[in-house]
Amino acid sequence: MITPLPIDVPAVPSPAAPGQPARSYWQQATARLRRNRIGVASGVVLLFFVLVALTSPLLAAIFTHTDPRSIDLLNTFLPPLSPHHILGTDDLGRDELTRMFYGAQVSMGIGFLAVGVSLTIGAGVGLVAGYYGGLIDGLLMRFVDIILAVPAIFLFILMSILFKPNTITLALIIASVGWGSIARLVRGEVLSVRTRDFMVATSSLGASDLRLILRHLLPNVLHVLIVFGSLYLGQVVLIEAALDFLGLGISPATPSWGNMLTNSETFFFHSSWLVIWPGLTIFITVLAANLFGNAIRDAFDPRLR
Amino acid sequence: MAAPLLELHDLKTQFFTPEGVVKAVDGVSLELHAGETLGIVGESGSGKSVTALSVMRLQRPGKIVGGEVRFKGRDLTKLSEVEMREIRGQEIAMIFQDPMTSLNPVFRTGWQVGEPVRLHQGWDKTRALGVAVSMLNKVGIPAPEKRARDYPHQFSGGMRQRAMIAMGLTTTPKVLIADEPTTALDVTIQAQILDLLRQVNREFGTATILITHNLGVVAGMCERVMVMYAGRIVESGPTVDVFAHPKHPYTWSLLRSIPRLDEERHEPLKPIEGLPPDLINLPSGCAFHPRCSFKMERCSRDVPALTRVGDTQFAACWVTQSGVELKGA
Amino acid sequence: MPKAEAVQLKRAWTTSDPLVSVRGLKTWFPVASGVLQRTTAHVHAVDGVDLDIKKGETLGLVGESGCGKSTLGRTIIRLLDPTAGTIQFKGEDITHQHGAALRAHRRDMAMIFQDPYASLDPRQTVGDIVGEPLDIHHLASGPARRARIRDLLDVVGLNPGFVDRYPHEFSGGQRQRIGIARALAVDPTFIVCDEPISALDVSIQAQIINLLEKLQSKFDLTYLFIAHDLSVVKHISNRVAVMYLGKIMEIAPGQQLYRRPRHPYTGSLLSAIPIPDPLIERARERMILQGDVASPVNPPSGCRFRTRCPRAQPHCAEEEPPLEGFGAEHLAACFYPLD
Repeated sequence: MITPLPIDVPAVPSPAAPGQPARSYWQQATARLRRNRIGVASGVVLLFFVLVALTSPLLAAIFTHTDPRSIDLLNTFLPPLSPHHILGTDDLGRDELTRMFYGAQVSMGIGFLAVGVSLTIGAGVGLVAGYYGGLIDGLLMRFVDIILAVPAIFLFILMSILFKPNTITLALIIASVGWGSIARLVRGEVLSVRTRDFMVATSSLGASDLRLILRHLLPNVLHVLIVFGSLYLGQVVLIEAALDFLGLGISPATPSWGNMLTNSETFFFHSSWLVIWPGLTIFITVLAANLFGNAIRDAFDPRLR
Repeated sequence: MAAPLLELHDLKTQFFTPEGVVKAVDGVSLELHAGETLGIVGESGSGKSVTALSVMRLQRPGKIVGGEVRFKGRDLTKLSEVEMREIRGQEIAMIFQDPMTSLNPVFRTGWQVGEPVRLHQGWDKTRALGVAVSMLNKVGIPAPEKRARDYPHQFSGGMRQRAMIAMGLTTTPKVLIADEPTTALDVTIQAQILDLLRQVNREFGTATILITHNLGVVAGMCERVMVMYAGRIVESGPTVDVFAHPKHPYTWSLLRSIPRLDEERHEPLKPIEGLPPDLINLPSGCAFHPRCSFKMERCSRDVPALTRVGDTQFAACWVTQSGVELKGA
Repeated sequence: MPKAEAVQLKRAWTTSDPLVSVRGLKTWFPVASGVLQRTTAHVHAVDGVDLDIKKGETLGLVGESGCGKSTLGRTIIRLLDPTAGTIQFKGEDITHQHGAALRAHRRDMAMIFQDPYASLDPRQTVGDIVGEPLDIHHLASGPARRARIRDLLDVVGLNPGFVDRYPHEFSGGQRQRIGIARALAVDPTFIVCDEPISALDVSIQAQIINLLEKLQSKFDLTYLFIAHDLSVVKHISNRVAVMYLGKIMEIAPGQQLYRRPRHPYTGSLLSAIPIPDPLIERARERMILQGDVASPVNPPSGCRFRTRCPRAQPHCAEEEPPLEGFGAEHLAACFYPLD
């Protein structure tokens, strides 16, 4: 039975001001992030693209009144600022702006899905390998080594032949190659956190392995995942564009920024805007993802701990 | 009495952080004479280390914002970096707390120990190595010729600290500053190193500033002692006097709160209540007053100056300056 | 009758028996080297320790770095698996227990750690940290749990209103108090204190020492107090054990250890500790040891202290001295003890 506690040891004042609300590690990091203007701007840009991706049919209905597939062979290669076609039209008379809206769906969709899946699998493997060590660690990490050693292109070609690439399968294909790096990163962080006194202390209280991994290890390695995730987002967008370029990506009927860029390659000299819109957008997205990732890494700087 | 070798006048060093200005050293004045051993005692945040680093102009990212550091008549705070480099390692040497990280792991120990004389006196490699080996021998490292070819990781902590002391002495400096030289070492090794420092002080006549938080070390090593709190000196004087009748409540309470090996009966310790001060928001008046059991009304208003209390001691305390004796249950 | 003989009656454990009883305890760590990472040697961290800890006492454990005191503490509380020997807790053999059986004992044993900055999960609030033991063992929930957490914070001298704050908002001494509150949450009988004050400022150490003593008398706790500072250990402990390279060299009541040490290592430790009194310090006779601590991977034959001992004789290399009696409760392992 729990004995009642007598209370007569003198209280010691806390250094934290009584009026200030408690600031968790996350709140401190968010505050630091907010002070970084470039980081905030990049975050806003990314958010903007996400919103476009989520609302593209609505945006198309409001702004352009067409859909991305409607072919108009009478109005091909219209330059920007033409009536009804602010960004011009492509080789089949399809409206560029609408295709850019819908392209966001594919590119951002693949980006987030691939990142999400990679992070989940990679974190799971990294946590288990780092926590248990020994044989489990050895086996898992050798498997990761194999995954990382296989040339991604080879795997992509293989997968594209086996499965018809749509948004979801393409995201999964990219993720199947990408989770290896995150697993290694997470495992490294787990190895350093695992031996810290508070982990030993919690196991001395009788905590189970699952509790230690989920409630103590995971929150302490989360920052690694977040930073890697935002940097990887930019990478995935580029990978998708590259795959489209190689003809292994989404079929051109469904617009993605990558395949828009690829298809306009031959038209560069007379209709350069068809290259510029998707190219510029990809560039801005990747730049924003990188800058945001850097800003997050600074916000979670270990000096904070 | 001969002029002091090293004098600090109202030295102020501050760190500018996003949370505010940290007044690490807030008006420190001291004198060091040739050949003597001075102890600077304080806890973490007292400013003792930053004071030493400021003397060496190694206080970055902090800035010396006021005061003077006079060494042989010259104000070190006004020297150029080039001029300062001639002083460092040659006239004033410093040894640090952590022997693991103070030596460069990729260079052989003998090479490092000989570095100061190569840099300052332009000696060639062979001559420098010769001096290094003889210094290693002097500090008690067995088989010094062989050990000089070893890398730092092949030395134990105590040996590394000896090597650091050897390195500091090769140029026969006038002043040796030892910043917590034994804190990271086991107590039996600590005794060896302190013994070595005593021997060095005797043989070479180097004036030594010993910085530590351990009152026992100060008691055994230093002729004079200064006690620092919140960036200021709160008490100074001959060690024997300061320990026998401390004139500042902080020193007095600190001495009573330490468990002593030679205590006869078990009595509960008398801790200093409260917490160490926040250097960004120092209390008004005397920085110690929130934790002081003797405080008067004036203590929360005015910062006490370091003035003479008794024959040989100085204390920055309104209470003892007004003649009150420090006594307690 | 055979049947009666076959039934071994286990006498129930009473408080006059030792709370913790350790016999021949060894904890070795493998050293891997080479390309294939094969185990080439072992670190003999704990190399044969016999110890009894009585209920209600504070047993101090001192030694310098590498002597194995921390490893011994963690092995006793079963955070590490012993390589050999037995550990008995309240009469029960816990040497090889795992899982649920061990977890049941976790309610009775707790540990306080050295580093106040590493021993608390930076992502948890103070309330969660202190309440976690209650959750793990399903001891309380809802309002009862909250009340218990507040009581715990109060009894260690922290403002219970700060239950939602994070560890980084507190000073070192306060974080140590949080760690103590966490250890008390399950109402343990035995607490291993692993260097609980070494990382704290001098003026704060006394606060924590007093707190530990107060809590001990209030809750009838038994402490294994591990530290390298003999002054502190002697102050807080009833008996003190001195360790060197994995073995106990001497064990005696604190005052007796100081007045009349028998083992040369104890003697040199005592003479090396500075006393804050200039007149005493300067007059002291010092027994300064030469050389460094030998390696725990390959301890010296016979008496392991002989490589640094000023009194060593050839005999010391041949035979290991047993821990023997020198009076009431005073044991030392030396063939040529101090007078």
